[in-house]
Amino acid sequence: MRAFVPFGVWLLTLASGLAQQPPLAKDPGPFLPPSDFPEDKVSKAVAGPAPHLPDGRPDFGGNGAWYPGFNGNIAETTWKGVKSADAHVDVPFLSWTLKTYNERVENRAKDDPEAHCLPVGVPRFMFDPYPFQIIQTHDQVVFVFEGDNYLWRIVNMDAKGKTHPRNLKSTWLGDAIGHYEGDTLVVDVTGFNGLAWLDQAGHASSDKLHLVERYTRTDSLTLKYEVTIDDPQAYSKPWTASNSIHWRPGMELMESICQEDEKSSIHMIGK
Amino acid sequence: MRYYFLFCVLAVVHAQDLGSDGVWVPASVADMGSHASVPFQPWAKLKFQENYALKQNPLDLRCLPPGVPRIMLMARPFEIVQTPNRIWFVYEGGAHVWRQVWMDGRAHPKDPNPNWLGHSIGHWDRNTLVVDSIGFNDRTWLDDAGHPHTEQLHVIEKYTRMGTLTMRYDVEIDDPGAYTQPWASSSSLSLRPGQKLAEDICLDKISK
Repeated sequence: MRAFVPFGVWLLTLASGLAQQPPLAKDPGPFLPPSDFPEDKVSKAVAGPAPHLPDGRPDFGGNGAWYPGFNGNIAETTWKGVKSADAHVDVPFLSWTLKTYNERVENRAKDDPEAHCLPVGVPRFMFDPYPFQIIQTHDQVVFVFEGDNYLWRIVNMDAKGKTHPRNLKSTWLGDAIGHYEGDTLVVDVTGFNGLAWLDQAGHASSDKLHLVERYTRTDSLTLKYEVTIDDPQAYSKPWTASNSIHWRPGMELMESICQEDEKSSIHMIGK
Repeated sequence: MRYYFLFCVLAVVHAQDLGSDGVWVPASVADMGSHASVPFQPWAKLKFQENYALKQNPLDLRCLPPGVPRIMLMARPFEIVQTPNRIWFVYEGGAHVWRQVWMDGRAHPKDPNPNWLGHSIGHWDRNTLVVDSIGFNDRTWLDDAGHPHTEQLHVIEKYTRMGTLTMRYDVEIDDPGAYTQPWASSSSLSLRPGQKLAEDICLDKISK
């Protein structure tokens, strides 16, 4: 018996040493009492069929705006006490992205670029609580966002078989090329700077990030968003996150300038 | 004569179409008062001289939006996107922001929250887009030179497409808090066909 205890300890040590990855950082838990959280103000509008433009393309606009709600973690169905992404994903982390993710969660997202007024980035725009509108012209899809700096994003739709420019300058929002597949807008994005977080929780990416986004208006009030994250320098294989974004009839975007009298970020503390 | 005919056709085609495959670039107008005798109120004249000596609005260094009409007097590319009820201005730089002009016949709100880009409503006067804006804060400058304004600022902008590649820009400043009477300036915008907007995030330059 006396010999068995040290042996057990040794066995445990060995087992933990052999484990490939440390455990995922835990959900930090609710940050607002549920009654204070505006997330679940359900629209009284009744969903109708998804509208189309006169030429048959799906219509992502109308009198209103899209509101993703707060979805702090693109790989979990609940995060910080509220509904998050549509589905749980076992994220195929590489060791550095797992380490970074755990640090960011445990550090209360202290260094989140978005909290310092830098661009939210893609795909996080579709998971953050900033309303947006989608404008479709014959050769572009323009996203305009209320937050966090009244940002916009342009998807170029204008060429068949168009490829991303060579020697792309790396940016926060990347270079986006889109096309329609039936009722789905498919957007291929690359040329990222690797600085934006994929979500508020802190999933990281590199400048090799390549996204395929799929937007489908499944009914008049719902925009189904799916994004495939392909980043061989950050994840061992591509993975897909999703969110159902709600239409708020009559909603208009307000000007929001994050850095106006910004005094918060210097007070942010982590562990 | 043949060219005159061609010009007319182009002018008609583009009369109420400000969009394009390309970007618009304003002529740089540093001082919109240089060709007008500006009807300053005494405090506004002093403030202008003070701003002029600074050479730059200190808020630029914090990446705040340039405001109106200054954002149309800086040689930074932007796109105009037209939809039936709204016209959108999408700016590459100064700040990576957008602006919307309501074309659905609505009036301004009664007491708008003062902001950087104002509340804008528009209508067509023949082939001129007339944009009427109020609801500004008093922190932006009207131009690089530093013409000041108050929250009473009322800006009337007129966009007239003169041909495929050019647009006339007229702007009237009506601010009884800073000027004794309305005054105006004008400028032009050029189209760069095929050019796309680049991403220019001002904070990148100061946050590293």
